[in-house]
Amino acid sequence: MSTVVTVDAPTGIRARRGARIPASGPQAVVWIGLVVLVVGPLLPLLYASLRSKPYYLPGGVFTLQGYRTLFDDPAFWQAVRNTLQFAVLTTVLSVAAGAAFAILCGRTNLPGRRIYSTLLLAPVVIPPLGLIVGWVAVYGQSGYLTGLVSRNLHLPVWNLSSIPGMAVLAAAVTIPISFLTCQSALAGTDTALEDAARSAGAGPLQVIARVTLPMLRPAILNCAVLIFALALEVLGIALFLGPPAHLDLYASYLYKSWSDSVVPDPAFVSAGAVLLLVVVSLLLLVRNRMLGAEQRFIATAVRGGGSYQPLDLRRWRRPLSFLVGAFIVLTSLVPLLGLVLMSCVKALTTLVAPWHLFTSSNWHQVATDVTFRRSITNSLIIAAVGGAITVAFVAVATVIAHRSKFVLRRTIPPLLVYPRAVPGIILGIGFFWSYLMIGPGAYVRNNLWGELIALSVRNITLAYVVIYPSLARINEEMDRAARATGAGWWTTTRRILLPILRPSLIAAFLLMFVTILNDYDPVVFLQKPGTEVIGVTMLQYWQQGVVGPVAALAVVQVLIVSVVLGIGARAIRSARHA
Amino acid sequence: MPDIRVERLAKSYGKQRVLDEISFTVRDKEFVTLLGPSGCGKTTTLMSIAGFLTPEQGLISCGDVTFLDTDARVNVAAERRNLGIVFQSYAIWPHLTVAGNVAFPLKIRRQNKRTIKARVAEVLDLVEMGDYAGRYPHQLSGGQQQRVALARALAYSPGVLLLDEPFSNLDAKLRERARDWLKQLQHDLGLTTVFVTHDQDEAMALSDRIVVMSAGQILRVGTPEEIYREPADRRVAEFVGLCNFLTGTVRAGVECRVITSEFADGIAVRGEVTDGADVTIAVRPEDIALSADPGAGPEATLLDTSFLGDHYQSRLALGDVELIVHTSTRPDPDALHVHIPPGVATLVT
Repeated sequence: MSTVVTVDAPTGIRARRGARIPASGPQAVVWIGLVVLVVGPLLPLLYASLRSKPYYLPGGVFTLQGYRTLFDDPAFWQAVRNTLQFAVLTTVLSVAAGAAFAILCGRTNLPGRRIYSTLLLAPVVIPPLGLIVGWVAVYGQSGYLTGLVSRNLHLPVWNLSSIPGMAVLAAAVTIPISFLTCQSALAGTDTALEDAARSAGAGPLQVIARVTLPMLRPAILNCAVLIFALALEVLGIALFLGPPAHLDLYASYLYKSWSDSVVPDPAFVSAGAVLLLVVVSLLLLVRNRMLGAEQRFIATAVRGGGSYQPLDLRRWRRPLSFLVGAFIVLTSLVPLLGLVLMSCVKALTTLVAPWHLFTSSNWHQVATDVTFRRSITNSLIIAAVGGAITVAFVAVATVIAHRSKFVLRRTIPPLLVYPRAVPGIILGIGFFWSYLMIGPGAYVRNNLWGELIALSVRNITLAYVVIYPSLARINEEMDRAARATGAGWWTTTRRILLPILRPSLIAAFLLMFVTILNDYDPVVFLQKPGTEVIGVTMLQYWQQGVVGPVAALAVVQVLIVSVVLGIGARAIRSARHA
Repeated sequence: MPDIRVERLAKSYGKQRVLDEISFTVRDKEFVTLLGPSGCGKTTTLMSIAGFLTPEQGLISCGDVTFLDTDARVNVAAERRNLGIVFQSYAIWPHLTVAGNVAFPLKIRRQNKRTIKARVAEVLDLVEMGDYAGRYPHQLSGGQQQRVALARALAYSPGVLLLDEPFSNLDAKLRERARDWLKQLQHDLGLTTVFVTHDQDEAMALSDRIVVMSAGQILRVGTPEEIYREPADRRVAEFVGLCNFLTGTVRAGVECRVITSEFADGIAVRGEVTDGADVTIAVRPEDIALSADPGAGPEATLLDTSFLGDHYQSRLALGDVELIVHTSTRPDPDALHVHIPPGVATLVT
């Protein structure tokens, strides 16, 4: 140290006073906003379920009549029975397959296990309604493969429009959840435990049965409860597959009762919604208890098992690899191809070769029909604006929750996580009522903002789930260093934490964009002429028997999602580099 | 530069008392180290001074500014304390360049662009990082990151510098260099400095005074020499360097001697004690002499010897006690009469 530099007076350069915003003000505003958005739609729903007449009609009284009507309806009990069978079957199939895939890809020498680990997640990004339409096109009662097998080969055939059929589809859609849960549990456990069993003389199957599976038990239980809760609120599958067999699940029963009711906005539908809300909330509360707070969001470190040798499947390697590959092809690829094919033909049938039925009219209709075009632009606007606003809001709320001294900060994480636990259709009914009952609701009731708010609130949890782990990884000394140099809470958040979080903010925005674009159940009751979105338009046209254009619209949705994810992956990579 | 006063600072986490009414003063331009094992409360104390932790009780002041006074309900926010801090992880913001990191405190203080530019260049030159202004943190080595952290802490010329184990992420050689360099810088700038470490060598080399802490209490405050030669407390002697402990009874006379079961003639000690009291004395391993002369003292048996480069460390059995002895040559198994010269043994409690 030879350089001698003169340094200013002991006091240093003083911070200028008065230019600072006290942190608690904006923090309180964000908190109040969050409470209004999350709790706001649920209280009016409860109120509506307890009134004899809809809110806007004069002379209603408090009554349990809504609940009585519901319990007197045999169709309700039929829907409850169907839903329970459906949910149990879905859970069993999904968890069994997800755990098996996780073990095969994570602990054995299965050929192609890396690429399978990615491809198995495909149902997460494929628009759910598009996937359902694809399944119907291929495996439905008059589906292409169904026809091929039954008419041409005269073999006994499956029935997708049945409880087991719907459960198979639901399981295929939810397998990414069980796969990911089991995979991360496996990644977090030391392979030395399995190596120890092998050195004690256990063969691969014994190791899996005696060591790997018991270690996975908490993860399996955890995703089973989650998938069961999700299965209880399934709407799309029932609306697309149920009609031929007159099958209803809980959510589709509520949807139809609401749309077909002679009395407008009947109280018993709200009552049904409240009941489902209570059941699902309790289930997820139980799950959270099992998990121990928020630990599940923190990525478990993969231990460096350098000496780890994957379990050898021996002669089962190729057959098992073929089976996994076939599963991916049959559940994701073939339905997608069926969807594309369906969008290009007059009718999809095995009686006439598809190229004789080729038509561009479906696409022409999507391109020219006002409703179709408007739903695409509306969906894009809502996804882009809603995604951006949600990410900004959730980012600030997450920083308040975990990096501030705000008095009520501990209430923020549950508030951010809860909306995902509310079944979509119920959140929709809730927002419908709150826009009617709460004064400012009138400003958003009849335009895109109403749908935007419902879809954003529904998916707020996803943004939190992406942002929080990244924030938790930022050493708290980063913000302390900023505070020590004189920055207040808000300046620290804006200039230090949010810029460091940029890659995960972009990731959160992409996830929000894709999910909002694909989502539909919170807005089925909010859509008005002029505010159509892709999902609801597909539902409504499908119910009118319009098939080809709906498939074309689904293909558009798939294309938008793949383009956005393609661009996004690049954006995240370059943001990480900066 | 200001002085720092800490008075009756107390903090608990649940039932565990992490700070038990500690008080000390850091004088103007002084380099004071808080030394102790992990969990002793040293970092809690530093973070309380910085304002990131709020003790339940106590007073902290810096110059004529009161940072914390629990009785008067004064608690100045961390960002208004105008201190320079270097964190253990350095906490260099990854999204800003080296210059951006150093400029941040000046931008917060709304300095004009030209002042900021000049000051950033000046401070980066001071830490010998002028050539790296445009780099991003991930392009720097650990030692360079530490310098940037220091430059950022010094950017707005704070009078007080707080350092939280800043060398713990550096390798041994670099650590020694960084230590010399920091000492020089602190001296040149005349900064009042509080330094936290669990490394006694670091504490010895850098400090004007050391505050030895354990279990939320201050055991001893003094210069490095005082701490080493007159630890006063057995835990201090144990923590700072190696030490042998012997117990015995005081026999006052012309000189004060302690009679132990091993040393029937007694060992001459410094300090005032009452006759007949039972005491513990501490003797450093390098202060013990071994000799072939039976008159020098009782004979011990050699257990083992290790070569440590600049000296030999041997374990000896003497009666019921085990002694550690440092010698410059390998001890001769025939010359193991233990002699403790007058004045090297000190009383501890």
